[in-house]
Parts: sequence; C-alpha cells; structure tokens
Amino acid sequence: MLVAKNLTKHYRRHADVVKVLQGLTLTVESGEFLSIVGASGSGKSTLLHLMGTLDAPDSGQILLDGRRIDNMRGKQRDLLRNKTFGFIFQFYHLLPELSTLDNVLMPAFIQQSVWGWWQTRREWRRRAEELLTRVGLGHRMKHKPRELSGGEMQRAAVARALLNRPRVLFADEPTGNLDVDTGADIVRLLRDLNEDSGVTIVMVTHNLEIAALTDRVVRMAGGRVVEECFSEV
Amino acid sequence: MYKLLLCTTYLRTRYLAFVCIVSVMLGVCTLIVVNSVMSGFSNKLKDRLHGILADVLIETERADGFDETPAEMEAVIRASKAGPHVEAVSPTVEVFALLQFHVMDRSGKRVPITKHVRLIGVDPAKHSKVGRFKEYLVRQHADPAPSFDLTPEAKQRFERNRQFSEWDQPPKPNKVAQAPGPRSVELFKEPIIPAGLEIPVAIPPPVLPQGPPPPLPGAILGYSIAHYRYKDPETGESKEVEILRPGDDILLATVGADGASVKYKTFAVTDYFKSEMSEYDGGFVYVSLDELQQMRGMDGRVNCLQLKLKGDVANDNQYVHETLIPEVQGKFDPTSARVASWQQHQGPLLAAIDIERGILNLLLFMIVGVAGFSVLAIFTMIVSEKFRDIGVLKSLGASDRGILSIFVTYGFLLGLVGCILGTGAGLLITEYINEIEAFLARITGQQIFDRSVYYFDKIPTNVDPMSILFINAGAVLTCVLFSVLPALRAARLHPVRALRFE
Repeated sequence: MLVAKNLTKHYRRHADVVKVLQGLTLTVESGEFLSIVGASGSGKSTLLHLMGTLDAPDSGQILLDGRRIDNMRGKQRDLLRNKTFGFIFQFYHLLPELSTLDNVLMPAFIQQSVWGWWQTRREWRRRAEELLTRVGLGHRMKHKPRELSGGEMQRAAVARALLNRPRVLFADEPTGNLDVDTGADIVRLLRDLNEDSGVTIVMVTHNLEIAALTDRVVRMAGGRVVEECFSEV
Repeated sequence: MYKLLLCTTYLRTRYLAFVCIVSVMLGVCTLIVVNSVMSGFSNKLKDRLHGILADVLIETERADGFDETPAEMEAVIRASKAGPHVEAVSPTVEVFALLQFHVMDRSGKRVPITKHVRLIGVDPAKHSKVGRFKEYLVRQHADPAPSFDLTPEAKQRFERNRQFSEWDQPPKPNKVAQAPGPRSVELFKEPIIPAGLEIPVAIPPPVLPQGPPPPLPGAILGYSIAHYRYKDPETGESKEVEILRPGDDILLATVGADGASVKYKTFAVTDYFKSEMSEYDGGFVYVSLDELQQMRGMDGRVNCLQLKLKGDVANDNQYVHETLIPEVQGKFDPTSARVASWQQHQGPLLAAIDIERGILNLLLFMIVGVAGFSVLAIFTMIVSEKFRDIGVLKSLGASDRGILSIFVTYGFLLGLVGCILGTGAGLLITEYINEIEAFLARITGQQIFDRSVYYFDKIPTNVDPMSILFINAGAVLTCVLFSVLPALRAARLHPVRALRFE
C-alpha cells in the first residue's frame, strides 16, 4: 500500500552535512501495524515525516497505492494530510486555546468552509464525541489541554488523528513523553483501533516492549532498514 | 472555518494583542477629535468669511468709484448670461478711514483714541440680502429692516454727551445784539439825508428758541472697536469693557472722491457688528451708503458691487469660477473693475487653513503608523510563539495560504476593534469637548481654550462622516499591511521544523 523506494535525505548546517537516510526502501501493507525502531539519529522520525509528506526526500520515491506522493504540492498534498493521513506526535501538539472537543474537530474545521461547517456541524460533533468517548475522554470534552494529563492529551491527539477516518496513521514516539503504564495504554488503544477499523499504523518508537505489541518491527541503522521481524502478537 | 475560529480565539485570548488595539484606538481617537475641531474652526471661519462677503464681488480701486451707476451695472449683469443666477445685488463704498473718539482716563480727562478702520457705506436692506450683515448686528439682528437710526436711549445718551461736552467748554462771552446807531456818512459834505428826517434803527435779528441740534448720522462699529477684552489678573477670567456705546459720537476721516482731499464727519454709534472674526470686528465701520457718498463727493457712485447667487449655483464652485465670473468680467473693463468670488477674495487665508489641516492630518497619521509597528512587533512574537501550532495545523492539512490568512485576518480584526473603540471614544470626546476643556482648566488652572483670543464661546466642532471613514479605513489598512510580514513568515514555515521548535 505505502512504499518508500530508495529514499535519501540529508541535512546541512553550514559546512556540515548529515546524511540521515541513505537509500532506504520499505513497504507498508494495508491494515498493518508497523513499528520502526532504532537508536537516536537513525532516521526513524525523518522516514515518518517523509512518508507522511511533511518533508520531501532528496531522492527516491514514496508511493501510495502505486501513486507518487513525495512530489505532491499545494492542495493535493494538503488534502492527503487532512483526509488520508493522521498524525500523532510525541508532545501531543494540541492547540492550547481550544477545548478538547475543538481540538479533535480541527481536521474538520480545516476541511470545511464556514458554510460547509454550518451545514454539517452536527455530524462532525457526533463523530468527535464518539471518538472521545472511545478513547475514554467523554467526560473531558470541554476542558482545555492544560487541564488534561499527558495520557489524556495523547488520547485526544489519537481521537483527532482518527476524525477523518484516515487510511494511514503515523505515530511519532506516541509514548515517549508518558510513563510506562500510560504508554502501554496508548499502544493498546492503537492496537484496538487497528483491529477494529483496519487503519494502517506506522509507529516510530525506541521502546522495544512497545514495539513488540505491533504486527511487524523494522529496525533502522545508518539510514537504512537493517532488520525486520514479525511479532508473535 | 479554522481561520475564523483561530482568529476570533486569538482575539479573545491573546492579551498582548490588546496593546495593538489600544495603539490603534488612540490614533483613531486623536485623529477624529483633531479633525473635528479643525474642521469646526475651519467651517466656522469659512462661514464667517462667506457671511461677511457676498458670493461674487466686483471692485475697483479708483477713488471715485465705477463710471457706471449701481443701477446701470446691475442692469448689465442681469441682462447677461449670469443674470438668471443672481438673486440680490448690494452696492457699497469701501475705503480706508481714520476713526477718532474720546474716552475718559483715570483722572477724568477726555483723551482721544485714533484707529485705522475700513469704512463701508451700505444700504442695510440690500446688504442684508447678499450676506449675513443683519445676523451679525448685535441690537438689530431680529429686526426685519435694520437701519442706522438711533434708538431713543441712544438719542438720550447722545444728548447727554453733548451737554457734558458743552459744560466742559470754557464759558463763551454773551454776544448781545448791538443795535446799529445812526449812520454817519462822511462821503459828502452835504448830508444826503434831508435834515429832520430820522433814520430808523435796524431791526435786530429774531431770537429763535434754543432746541437740540439735528441728530448725527448713525454708524455701526465692529464689536472689538467698541469693546475691550482683558484678563483679570486676580481671577484670570476674561472680562469685557464697553468703551463706546450707542449714542456716543465718533469722528471718521477719509479721502475724498478726488483722491486728494480729506473728508471728515461726525457720526453717532447706533449698533455693533459682531461676526466673531477679530479682523472684521476690530476693523469694520458701517455707515449709510448715501452719507458716505455725500461725504466723499461721489455723486451716487460706488466702488464695490456685491452679488448673491441663487442656491444651486452658489454651491457649484466650478461653474462660478469657470463660467459665471468670466461672464461678468467680460461685461466690464478689467482694468478698472475686478470680479472675484469670495473664495478668491480670501484665497490666501483659506489656502492656509487647508494646508495646515492637511499637514496636521499627515503628522497625526503617524500615530497610526506607530500602531502599525506595534502590530508588526507583537505579531512577530505571536508567530514565534505559535510555531508548533502552525506545524500541527500544516500536518492536519492547513494550506500555506490558510496560515497566511489567519494572521492577516487577525491583524484586520485587531485594527477593526481598535477603530470601533477609537471612533466611539473620539466621537464622545468631540461631543463633550467643552465640558472636558472646562474640567481640565479647573484641574490644571490653565485656560486651554482662551476665549480672549477667539471670539467663539465654545470650541467649534464638525464631525464629517467621510473623514471618519477615511481615518478608519487607513487605520485598518495599516494594521493589515503590518501583519503581512509576520503572516508570510508563518505561512512559509516548514512543518517539521515548526514541530521541532523549542
């Protein structure tokens, strides 16, 4: 479904050149829960960003259902990020001025015009409330992010990522800022979502215990995939 | 939808942005107040200038006036293409003159005061139709037919003054009528008259009853000529002293129609002329047109003809200057008769007012410019604070243009709120400016609007809706322009770098 072919990416700071990805190739199957592990600086997050079209590779291709997405620009790319992909970040990245419900609704706000929102607002609210209830935040809809715990904020971020029924969910160290138990809860939540709705999940983590909960684990080193194994879960 | 939501949310929650709102509010408020006051002063000044002068003036600098009589000139004008647009005509004689009157000093001695004035001979009925002459008269502004006649009180005062001045004179020897004695004629040795015939004594002249002399012709003085304003050193208040009253006599001396001889005559004060223009109230004296013509030996001629135009034409400046005035000028010899509108007559003064107002507006708009820079600074800070949020929005599918429009719209809303508040404050201050001035004067002990300088009792204001619209549009545009740069920076942020921003 999602294929990264021979990707290279480097960062330059003045005269220093840091080669992050060096000819990486990876295939993600539809409905798969994939985790990418590796040491710090191995290029895990960079790969995630490239696959999610948040960044562009120096060379190589990224294909979604056989269609190139790495060279998409403008409206096509924005539409892809809004409707096809969902993102969960290590630091949650909820908008602090909005309530939890409004944060979850943000993809719909971006997608809809004012008039379009006015016409469809009830359906969107219902969907957001269902998602929040699903992730255990039904009683925290009106609260601001500063009033939520880390785990609750990450659950809200998960609900936000799922609002538009994305085909692929990208999670960049979703448990990195949480304690072990909370982190495990989050991964279990993602697991359940993957099994229930069949959403493809690509998760970056440095926690092997967390990675063990996924379908397949891919290990990166030196900007390449060096090992992969299938989980027994 | 997200742009509107975030703009309004930031407007409610970003307290730092209130600094921008206050800056814009102050700038707009100041501009509105200053514009309203200056417009009020300007309009009142133009109104007064126009009230004193008619719409069109035909003047000559010849001492003996126009060759044509006023009736002949009026007939020529009415027969021309400009004729249908002329509502009223007033012939006048305007000359330089010296005014002399006496006042009592502290020791009780009468001392002469001499002033140079502009002496204007008018027909009050005709002159009231071409301008606001009647409205500016202090005593007769409500009279249907103003005149130069003395009121009974003024006549009494005049009579009393006359008696006082007689008492002041040294006593004159009584002239007893000497009956002539018999004449002796020594021309011939032999008497012409036969002897025995007595020559009758010449009949002495009849002794007429002693009555008051005929009343003097009346004169209407500029208010400031007859009144003296000063500031009480103890209380600091402006006070006014009347130095010439109706019934007092004045001497007016001017050049005759031959341009060489000096003519003078005594007049009695009948009324005051108060236009609240110090230049006119301190320098104009009006007398009857017939009296001045006689005094100067003008044989019924005048040196100025003032025309009032009909309402629709009077307001059409372009038509008046480009068509009507050339039409009238064409009927008279330009070397001796100059035709001009009241605006052309007062051109330098009116131009000075407009230039001053334009420069002041430009300088004051810099306040709004400062507000714009505060928008730039604060938005740059806000964009820096919002780096991660911008990254999140982009990862959720927000476009670069959408991010740009969030901040530009935010700048627009800040400007709009500042303008609404500034306009409200500005209109409120303008409405109660006199009360505010009085309050500040009480607090500080300083007169902010010195009534001894201006003859307005209140600070004149004029709120022009178009000016307010331009001020608000300019302020909002400034805010939008100054928000573009930070907005562009936000729009161009790389989502990954934004998400990683610490």
